[in-house]
Amino acid sequence: MKRVTIDPITRLEGHGKIEIFLNEEGEVANAYLQIPELRGFEQFCVGRPAEEMPRITNRICGVCPEAHHMAGTKALDALFHVEPTSVAKKIREVLYSAFYVTDHTVHFYALGGPDFVLGPDAPPAERNILGVVHKVGLEIGSQVIECRMRNHHVIQMLGGRGIHPVAGLPGGWSKAVSEEERQEIEEIARKNVEFGLFSLQLFNDVVLSNQDYVDLIVSDGYTHRIYSMGTVDENNHVNFYDGMIRVVDPEGAEFAKYHPSEYPNHIAERVEPYSYLKFPYLKNVGWKGFEDGMESGIYSATPLSRLNAADGMATPKAQEAYEKLYETLGSEKVNGNYTPVHHQLATHWARLVELLYSAERMLELITDPEITDPNVRAPITETPDEGVGSVEAPRGTLTHHYWTDENGILTKVNLVVGTTNNNAPISLSIKKAAKAVIKKGEEINNGMLNMIEMAFRSYDPCMSCATHSLPGQMPLVVTIHDAEGNVVERVSRHVD
Amino acid sequence: MRTLVIGLGNPILTDDGVGVKVAYAVQDALASSKRNDVTVTEASVGGLRLMEMMMGYDRVILIDALLHDAMPGTVQRMTLEDLRTISPTQHSTCAHDTNLVTALNMGQQIGLPLPKEITIYAVGVENVTYFGDEPTPAVAKAIPEVTAAVLAELNHKK
Repeated sequence: MKRVTIDPITRLEGHGKIEIFLNEEGEVANAYLQIPELRGFEQFCVGRPAEEMPRITNRICGVCPEAHHMAGTKALDALFHVEPTSVAKKIREVLYSAFYVTDHTVHFYALGGPDFVLGPDAPPAERNILGVVHKVGLEIGSQVIECRMRNHHVIQMLGGRGIHPVAGLPGGWSKAVSEEERQEIEEIARKNVEFGLFSLQLFNDVVLSNQDYVDLIVSDGYTHRIYSMGTVDENNHVNFYDGMIRVVDPEGAEFAKYHPSEYPNHIAERVEPYSYLKFPYLKNVGWKGFEDGMESGIYSATPLSRLNAADGMATPKAQEAYEKLYETLGSEKVNGNYTPVHHQLATHWARLVELLYSAERMLELITDPEITDPNVRAPITETPDEGVGSVEAPRGTLTHHYWTDENGILTKVNLVVGTTNNNAPISLSIKKAAKAVIKKGEEINNGMLNMIEMAFRSYDPCMSCATHSLPGQMPLVVTIHDAEGNVVERVSRHVD
Repeated sequence: MRTLVIGLGNPILTDDGVGVKVAYAVQDALASSKRNDVTVTEASVGGLRLMEMMMGYDRVILIDALLHDAMPGTVQRMTLEDLRTISPTQHSTCAHDTNLVTALNMGQQIGLPLPKEITIYAVGVENVTYFGDEPTPAVAKAIPEVTAAVLAELNHKK
């Protein structure tokens, strides 16, 4: 069996690699993802006071510290059996919305978007944000940076620090919002709504008006029918900060709806001999291998699956954008709700719908008269024991689970991070895309490799919340091994 | 001249936090002097976010961990030009973001106030996969050396 390795994955954590196994005929037999393992996290945490967790866990990862901070803070609420004050929840969600706007912006403009704006076959050196600026105009670069900076400013104002927020406390938040700050954030939220609409318009003009791209999105190589997971509010609308976890089957029928603390009853983890990665799946469906369909317990937790798992968006403009996505991609309405879309590349579009929702939600919360209420923290009176906190991280449902002794000293810790949910569907997507592009007897070229990476990139995965060390040489390497493991061919290219 | 010193890395990932440790040491050493022209900070970000942090400064000194082909504890001083030469594919520190060189190029194109001078101190590391708040011994030994080099650089040009 031949083995093709894509290492590392372009534009995402430089430490992951894709391995593709070819059979004797040169056709794709299997494909999976390899990422480095980070070890010792639980040992690092055990013995420390639980209150440190929102500040420790936001150090796990330089990509979504805000998500870890929020899940950690919510786990502390549960651990200390304290209900945060109403205004504290709203302040948390304002910060979280600002974070979503910046996070989804960078993915679309710097990571996922270039494939569409410049084309999947564009040379890797051009397929980045510089290429986007070159093609669409300098103005777009300024807009992206301005959007990011004004929202980082909000995170700093509310969270106490710009990059790794520190304001989350069990039962609330460490500081109230002044009227002056409120006005400033309202102005920023209004700009975010404009930016969200602008980004969707750009997607419409660049991607949807190009039939080749639409064909690519709906092509079989990027389509698989799996279960969808997401957090929903009391109306089954998408929410990132709080709610129930809802899972719908490939046809769109509700399969499960549960409180985040019940995750062990619904999610099991599969271990494969070739990887230390765990592959979560739906316990009550069962593991049927890397296959899609109703009988396979594989689920995804992505922007697209969040939309699939909900009945709609909680804000008006995002709802309009949501409807357009489902109408355009051939979804049908059953009992008043759209059936799921299973075209993986449509995740980029879903991400922009979420961007607009975050902006609208931020505006809604910051214009709520209660937001400047100084009552930002509820007192703690109970003895801590065990607590689960969950949010939707941009890359999927993020769950923190802590156990402590009666003094609040950690005895056990479990985290299910966003990307982990998607380990199985990512492997499924890579395999399917690889099968579609690698043909018997054809030489494997850069364009083909990028088509495979696009399947992976749509998940916006954060590789094991991994390391940040400065790399030296970082080419994309494809190594083909023969059945004995000898290298028979090596293709490498510089990537950005 | 306004200078920003940034210790890059994850402070709880053993050797990955070496840059952050150096930044703290530089900050301590500067505490007694009145250097209003120097800001010291730490971050575990890359690409656009790192570029954005640099806005408004004339000079930036980065301290980061270097994993590839470097002996643990060895220190290399590099310029941005070196980074470009080492690899046109520099990811610098982060995923889910573009690389630093690309981010800086974009920043320049859209006319952001970016530093004219960027210096990188890269410390060779070995363990960046195990959680821990202290670096391995060889890497820990390099901290005073890098700290002294950064301070010398700060004193050389004010």
